[in-house]
Amino acid sequence: MSEHDKEAGTTGHQWDDDEGYPLKEYSNPLPRWWLYTFYATIVFSVGYWFLYPAWPLADGFTPGTLGWSQYRQLDEELAEAKAARKPFDDQLAQLSLDQIRQDPRLAAYAIAAGKAIFGDNCAPCHGSGGVGAKVGGFPALVDDDWLYGGTLETIHATVDNGRQGAMPAHLDSAGGALNDQQVRDLVEYVVAVSGRPAADQEAVARGKELFHGDAACNACHGDGGKGSLTGKVAGEAVDANIGAPNLTDAIWLFGGERDTLYATIAQGRTGHMPAWGAGFEGTGRKLDPLAIKQVTLYVHNLGGGQ
Amino acid sequence: MKHATIEKSIPLMGILTLLVVAIGGLVEIVPLFFIESTIETVEGMRPYTPLELRGRDIYIREGCYNCHSQMIRPFRDEAERYGHYSLAAESKYDHPFQWGSKRTGPDLARVGGKYSNLWHIEHMRAPRQMVPESVMPAYPWLEKTPLAYDDVAARMTALSRVGVPYAPEMIASAKDDLEAQANPGGKTDGLIGRYGQKVPTGDFDGKPGEITELDALVAYLQMLGTLVDFSSYQAQAR
Amino acid sequence: MSPGHGLTEQYDYEVIKKFAVMGVVYAVVGFLVGVLIASQLTWPDLNFGIAQLSFGRLRPLHTSAVIFAFGGSVLFATSYYVVQRTCKARLFSDFLSAVTFWGWNLVVVLVVITYPLGLTQGKEYAETIWPIDLLITVVWVAYLINFVGTLAKRKEPHIYVANWFYLAFIITVAMLHVVNNLAIPVNLTDSYPVFAGVRDAMVQWWYGHNAVGFFLTAAFLGLMYYFVPKQAERPVYSYRLSIVHFWALAFLYIWAGPHHLHYTALPDWASTLGMTFSLMLLLPSWGGMINGIMTLSGAWHKLRTDPILRFFVVSLSFYGMSTFEGPMMSIKSVNALSHYTDWTIGHVHSGALGWVAMVSFGALYHMIPRLWGTTIHSVGLINLHFWLSTIGVVIYITAMWISGIMQGLMWRAYDQFGNLTYSFAETVEAMHPYYLIRTLGGVVFLLGALVMVYNVVMTIRNAPAPTGLRTPQAARAAA
Repeated sequence: MSEHDKEAGTTGHQWDDDEGYPLKEYSNPLPRWWLYTFYATIVFSVGYWFLYPAWPLADGFTPGTLGWSQYRQLDEELAEAKAARKPFDDQLAQLSLDQIRQDPRLAAYAIAAGKAIFGDNCAPCHGSGGVGAKVGGFPALVDDDWLYGGTLETIHATVDNGRQGAMPAHLDSAGGALNDQQVRDLVEYVVAVSGRPAADQEAVARGKELFHGDAACNACHGDGGKGSLTGKVAGEAVDANIGAPNLTDAIWLFGGERDTLYATIAQGRTGHMPAWGAGFEGTGRKLDPLAIKQVTLYVHNLGGGQ
Repeated sequence: MKHATIEKSIPLMGILTLLVVAIGGLVEIVPLFFIESTIETVEGMRPYTPLELRGRDIYIREGCYNCHSQMIRPFRDEAERYGHYSLAAESKYDHPFQWGSKRTGPDLARVGGKYSNLWHIEHMRAPRQMVPESVMPAYPWLEKTPLAYDDVAARMTALSRVGVPYAPEMIASAKDDLEAQANPGGKTDGLIGRYGQKVPTGDFDGKPGEITELDALVAYLQMLGTLVDFSSYQAQAR
Repeated sequence: MSPGHGLTEQYDYEVIKKFAVMGVVYAVVGFLVGVLIASQLTWPDLNFGIAQLSFGRLRPLHTSAVIFAFGGSVLFATSYYVVQRTCKARLFSDFLSAVTFWGWNLVVVLVVITYPLGLTQGKEYAETIWPIDLLITVVWVAYLINFVGTLAKRKEPHIYVANWFYLAFIITVAMLHVVNNLAIPVNLTDSYPVFAGVRDAMVQWWYGHNAVGFFLTAAFLGLMYYFVPKQAERPVYSYRLSIVHFWALAFLYIWAGPHHLHYTALPDWASTLGMTFSLMLLLPSWGGMINGIMTLSGAWHKLRTDPILRFFVVSLSFYGMSTFEGPMMSIKSVNALSHYTDWTIGHVHSGALGWVAMVSFGALYHMIPRLWGTTIHSVGLINLHFWLSTIGVVIYITAMWISGIMQGLMWRAYDQFGNLTYSFAETVEAMHPYYLIRTLGGVVFLLGALVMVYNVVMTIRNAPAPTGLRTPQAARAAA
């Protein structure tokens, strides 16, 4: 430090002094508060290293005296939450779906839990609150039109095991047995049974013939297109597990416009509801038996439950 | 040593700086390669199938990681919302890792099998048709672009050089396996023999006979988080 | 110092001028893309269903344009300015200067082309594909040689503190860039990183956090150490503090990366190191703020008339605030709430807009008239820019604080029975008003940058005709 700058309290070094104010540095000491706070963070950190896992070793690490691990912390959190819910959950596990529904307190609990599960897992397909999606193929759950049944038991089975819906392609070019005119006739018939004015009564008649004859649509959709839940073929009930929609109720899975109906019949449709129960043990992802009960009660309570 | 000595010497300044900045990284990175518990021992992990690998390439190309994490943290709410917390083992074949840093959209670590292929098709076409609250862009070009997979074997070879256990036969039959996975009518025995029973197969993009980028992306999404068998997994402090 | 030595020593101002102009241009580009992607989160239809305009491809373009194109150009310009003036030496090599300018701008152009095309490595803030990584390495080596070579020519035996920071920045970024981008190529555009999973995550955030630490902090502290005392016309507050906080910052910053990976599959021990070193980093970070702010003490009256000093004071305040917020967010229990939310986005922007951009604006307004041997076109417009920037940042970060904390709390909200209260989609919907406000904040900040463009253009147009390379003395005589 050169003598002449000592009075000014600078170090005596100077840079860039050709133009403007030259760069100089005061030799002020470190601010005390700054230094002591810095020391405090160091002391805190060293203390923290003693308590928690901190430093890597050759094959391992210093575990810390608290025995803490983030997974142990989670286990404690989950155990606490589980204990708080145990009184309810035990009853839910033991009682049947119908018994739970009869108990207002239990039902409120189960439906609240079901709502939470539904929001993240089911709503992406079935819409928030089960109102359905804006595009075809994802049924609304708030109406009373069910593909596989709207009782507690059938809803439970649907969630637990999933559903595979398959409507085959019927147009010859898509691998089916019908020609273009026959598909059009079927479209007119379906329009007619859904209560709308058909353009061509002769086509409706031909379509009806096909529906219950060569095309055998009634094998799944039932006589008169009333759906696999209510339909009957030659006096025999149609297997409800087919999930063939009722065509007479003006509720459409993929859409009821002529073009859409044509595409459905010509190209076929597939529907896939994932299984939420099976596979839970394996992946830790899907829903446990309790959650499936809860979401069943929630869906049943949306408005369409039977 | 007075600091004046250092600040008068470029070599001293430079070398000391390099030393000082090198230490932290060495201590934090190098042990991850040696401490055995870093990557858990699990059942079920396998490399990506050729189709999934190309799907993952598309996931990265579109920058999905900017909004979606693939890392479920060990918290109660994340366990309830997304499932079991993510393990290091689950991303051990991920070059690069895709844990993400932001959840503008939900975590995808265990999205596999959650929704149907049809849902993914409609959702990529127009996200708000499926989820009205979504701010995700539409990805209409994926189902229109044929998947380029001539070089899939070269990609697998590159990955095998950095440690992904692709056996020579996996690389040799890469194109066949890719086609088998995406074509419902394809023969899948070889594919399943090499990658296991859980491999999702089918027409992922709703266009039978065509293999598009959407096929690859959906195939990738449908397997995310489904590999590890958690029934036999014991938590390990690490 | 012998007076008049500068008459024979010429500075290379041409490369600085070019970098300064590109810095202004890239500021506008970076902010504009930022406003676009903020708008896309507010109104997702603005993605237009066009691949090249979709959020996932443009967000890396935004971050790279702001950090590497704008920030990088400002750092090249100011480091070349500072190192020449504090060493009283012309840049080491005109050739290397040209390599850095054209090379860096080629990198930026390639980024602008490749990112929208979906050519990416998929690593945050390091998306550039491997051939561009190689080009960056070449430019960086040229930069290092040019900078060190100039230091070697210095007339003053002591290396000024600003240059310590610039040197540390150049060395550290070289190390980070090389290690993080180690990859095995498949073809000319595609490659896979050599690291996978948890190791790749650790390497990535060792890189990512120190891109913040050395690109956006250390280097801009170097800038601060020249421009603040120069503009305030006061000596730096404490030489001793600058020594201690420089070495502490350089040593501690590198360790902080794992705080980006709390509660992930990164082992607990690494997480602990990330958190504790982040906490210990607080005071060394603040050393720069103290030295800056205390340098201004005694010059407070100048704030009334000098909007450039206002930029410096506010930027240092944002710096102090961000470097306090950072260590707080690195505490595991806080991070459990903040991670994955907009809080992080707000934090980054209080640093990137409040600190980096505003200190850069101050430096550009100080430097540009001197480079062209003239005076600024309008002090009033600097003042307008100052207010637009400040208001824009405040709107932006406030919106992100609220949305981030709200979203974090909504994710973990439970009803009376202990069920999750909100679905994820509901939390997205709740963000909408804040995304709108954030967009507005960004627009205001962008407007400020446009004011700067006008002011800079008018300043350069009004400058006296160039008379070749000029010395500071000649510039002063001409002014």
